[in-house]
Amino acid sequence: MTERIVDARWLEPPEPMELTLAALNVLESGERLRLLIHRMPHMLFPLLKDWGYDYTTHACDDGSYEILIWYKEQVIPVGGPESS
Amino acid sequence: MNVPSGISLDQAPPIWVPLRFFITAPLFALTAALLLLWAGPELFSSRWDPAMLGITHLLTLGFMGLVMLGAILQMLPVVAGTPVRRPALVAAIVHVLATSGIILLGSGLILTAPLALQIALPTLGTALLLFATLVVVTLRRSLPQNMTARAMRLAALMLAATVLLGLTLLSNHAFGWWLQARERLADLHLTWGLLGWVGLLIAGVAYQVVPMFQLTPAYPARLTRWLAPVLFILLLALAPARHLPVLWSTLKILLAAGFAVFALTTLWLQTKRRRKQPDVFMYFWRCSMLSLLSAITLWLAAQIAPAIGGMRGYGMLLGVLMIVGFAMSIMNGMLYKIVPFLVWFHLQSRRGATGPAVPNVREIMPESRTRRQMWLHFAALAALLAAIVFPSPFVYPSALLFGASNLWLWLNIVAASRTYSRVDALLGKASTSAG
Repeated sequence: MTERIVDARWLEPPEPMELTLAALNVLESGERLRLLIHRMPHMLFPLLKDWGYDYTTHACDDGSYEILIWYKEQVIPVGGPESS
Repeated sequence: MNVPSGISLDQAPPIWVPLRFFITAPLFALTAALLLLWAGPELFSSRWDPAMLGITHLLTLGFMGLVMLGAILQMLPVVAGTPVRRPALVAAIVHVLATSGIILLGSGLILTAPLALQIALPTLGTALLLFATLVVVTLRRSLPQNMTARAMRLAALMLAATVLLGLTLLSNHAFGWWLQARERLADLHLTWGLLGWVGLLIAGVAYQVVPMFQLTPAYPARLTRWLAPVLFILLLALAPARHLPVLWSTLKILLAAGFAVFALTTLWLQTKRRRKQPDVFMYFWRCSMLSLLSAITLWLAAQIAPAIGGMRGYGMLLGVLMIVGFAMSIMNGMLYKIVPFLVWFHLQSRRGATGPAVPNVREIMPESRTRRQMWLHFAALAALLAAIVFPSPFVYPSALLFGASNLWLWLNIVAASRTYSRVDALLGKASTSAG
């Protein structure tokens, strides 16, 4: 499964959210998005839910987070971050 | 961050809940500037002059109060973890009552019209006490480790106490009854209002927004845990300590030290920020913290050398530093983060996953416009301070600068709101034609 990466670490809000939504706009069918971010993007999750996306979150050792996002109709990805 | 993630989009208050407060607020500051222009240097003769009290309340209640009410109504569901019931109705009641109450209070004081003050009494009292109760009750469900919620709750309690004192003083002005402790109550009213309601709220909000928007390290955990409760207790203790001079002075020195720690920690965190380019938001925060520190230094100097405290304009200098320098600077900066974000966020959620693109925050609130307004605000602050010391050459320029700054702020907020209405209408059309 192909993957797009958005590295939004240490970008000022709402830039991480803007980049993520822009990347989701061009996400092809079967692709997933890996968002790297320095804090948990709480404001993003309701939008994802509302728009039919599913996601998993993973806290990294350096204090940042990895959020894996895919369109709900797809199967939950293998080898992604652990679900939290 | 201690923000729960369980809020869904339909639980977020409609955009006009906070925006109606933000659009109204600068108009009160603009009115204050026009009144200063009309009254001229005479106005600075005494801070107890009714016209000066009226103008001060246009800033503290009209500008600061409305911005804080709007921002809290927006933040409350997120901080508390649960939505506020019928937010549009609550906002409409509080906004209409508060706005009419402020107009009545301001005009009643400035024009010496007791009838206006008598009507202002229940109007303002209902709006502010209703709001304080709403905040305290809603936040009882917040997580105990959420330090912003804790500070916000204490600030709302301070708001209630400030309002009760304010209503007592207002009834004195409105009905002319004899109040022996008037000056003492007025002192407590302004201390609880500026340090308790405004100061505690700013500290609580800073714990979230300084690290988030300025990409700084978090505030030290010990500070976020203890600062607001300790300041709250010190402020409360001021009331019974009035007749005990040593305790009274000790409490005030501890309060000054607590706020100095907050200001210095914020400035220190800013030096550690990851984003090196300074922006409008950071400049506003820096100006605010430096104003707070200047007010503390001036107050301390007056404690050491009482001659300073006895100088003409001393109280007024403290007032301008705390109101225009500390509080209004932060609120002005916060509006430039909150308003474009709300417009963008509500448009994003309106457009859905497949709708047309919406403008980004920089297009909604261009930095070229906010930066120029920011310099105007700083110039107005400097001119106002100068006008207290040298009234005749500086009063008119300071009023013009202050008025221009607030007019520009209002235009920037209105422009962002109009962008929302325009794009919202386009999105509506797009979804109709797609359907």
